Amino acid sequence: MSVASVPFSFSRLSLIAGNTFLEAVRQKLFNFLLLLAIGLVASAQFFREFNFGSSELKFISDFGFGALIFFGSALTIATTAQLFFSEIENRTALTLLAKPLWRAEFVFGKFLGVFAVIGVFCALTIGLMMALLWHREGQLMGARPEDFANGRLIAYGDLLVVGVLQWLKFGVLAAIVLLIASFSNTNLFTVVTGFFVLVICHLQYLARDAWGNVDNAVLGLVVRALGFIFPNFQLFNLADQIGQGSGVSSVVALQVAGYAVAYIGVIGGLAVYSFRNREI
Amino acid sequence: MSQPVSAISIQGLTKDFSVTLRGVKLRAVDALNLEVSEGQVYGLLGPNGSGKSTTIKIILGLLDATVGDVRVFGVPANRVEARRNVGYLPEAPYFYRYLSGRELVKFYARVCGVSGTKLKSRVDEVIDWVGLSGAADRRVGTYSKGMLQRIGLAQALVHDPKLIVLDEPTAGVDPVGSAEMCELIRKLKHQGKTVLITSHLLAQIEDVCDRVAILDRGKLIVEGSVLELVGQRDRQALIVDPLPEADLEALRGWLAARGHSLNAVEQPRARLDQLFLSKVSRPGRPGGASAGVGSNEVPLDAKP
Repeated sequence: MSVASVPFSFSRLSLIAGNTFLEAVRQKLFNFLLLLAIGLVASAQFFREFNFGSSELKFISDFGFGALIFFGSALTIATTAQLFFSEIENRTALTLLAKPLWRAEFVFGKFLGVFAVIGVFCALTIGLMMALLWHREGQLMGARPEDFANGRLIAYGDLLVVGVLQWLKFGVLAAIVLLIASFSNTNLFTVVTGFFVLVICHLQYLARDAWGNVDNAVLGLVVRALGFIFPNFQLFNLADQIGQGSGVSSVVALQVAGYAVAYIGVIGGLAVYSFRNREI
Repeated sequence: MSQPVSAISIQGLTKDFSVTLRGVKLRAVDALNLEVSEGQVYGLLGPNGSGKSTTIKIILGLLDATVGDVRVFGVPANRVEARRNVGYLPEAPYFYRYLSGRELVKFYARVCGVSGTKLKSRVDEVIDWVGLSGAADRRVGTYSKGMLQRIGLAQALVHDPKLIVLDEPTAGVDPVGSAEMCELIRKLKHQGKTVLITSHLLAQIEDVCDRVAILDRGKLIVEGSVLELVGQRDRQALIVDPLPEADLEALRGWLAARGHSLNAVEQPRARLDQLFLSKVSRPGRPGGASAGVGSNEVPLDAKP
């Protein structure tokens, strides 16, 4: 019997994403981590070094990015796992997936909802950090104009670019957590495994460096494979280049962004494949 | 001329679950064959673990069959297209607590592709139909169990499906809520919808279903129309005013002269749920009135 097909719908996908976003921002965890991160960024001006000059601004910037990376990673892992398993454990997924809805729409909808939540988190944290830097830099320009003969030292555009790259990195992490959740039975397993993978992704460059020193061909192949399987999160750490004179190269930024999008696509596809066969 | 398509067609359905890492299987459904025709209210009965919910999940495409063929209006159940004409109310439904009833139904309507000017009218229509207009703007988290069932039914009906699957729709609901759910199921039947329902409350199933199937340990034990299965075609009940003993004797003699016997003389009884419903006020319907249940009097059960 021939029946009209149900095409993949971005409208349904955005509905799932919107609902996921709404659920996330109503959770205490999101608000708690957001307040903590904002508080930490804001407190940077009280912990700054007391030698006036650009190093103080660098300190505020590093402190801000540190808060963003730490709380952003925790928020990404916890929120992605929580929002996925709340649908399974509360059985709202039963009602939803009994509708004419592709599982791919469900998985990518969840991803986009989480990605939007992290986007809000990153925007607020980076926005606050930039406002603090702008304010402090203005004060320093008045107190020590000789240090700012060529205008402001901080490249605020670069800060924004690095913030966006961090957001994309969290997107890769969210896709990884979704992949784990797609076959995992518990929230706890997903969160713990997510943190392990986060550590591996931050340290995997060591494996890449190591393959040149491995004599065993098989071992070398394994190390090389692991280096490709786990995304290299060190690539996203461009914050150090800010204030170094060179700035952030737009070519490098685009390459890193493309790297993130490619990983999100592939890992998201694997999550859909895994979830397609999951028994609800 | 083509054969009419069954609303649900299940042929040789077997479902195994792996219960250990060594691959030990648990057979939840065993070689099940069922046909549910369009317009029927079909009851799927059985004790816990008999395979009812597994069968429903396979019909909804939430589980894959190990063996066998399951079709919904002729479309394989594991295809997304099969779910276009299906509305589903899960057992003890839990919905997004932070949405209002109206927002919830609207969300599911949009997931089902209801859009434009039709969206608002359809959402209002089904909310009114299940009797929740007064509470539609309250958050779902504040709803009682009966209200959750009704908003669940509204979301199941919002895209006007031809088949409605109700998994234990009266579980945990008080008799008033259960009776209202049964009324809604009867209304669905009058609208020509096909309803597949599972329930442990057999009296309710008997009242609303055209056909029933009883499963046990995944196997089909009994299947047929309610009348065929529980009706006693070789007996008749006559309900009369109270007769004095002498008249009763005369009636016995009259029957005996024609080759019949009076097998039982009983006092007809109202069912307890009907008594309950006639005495307890119902939300929005003070005085306890509803279709089939008189507002002030207890109707007699015609069964001897």
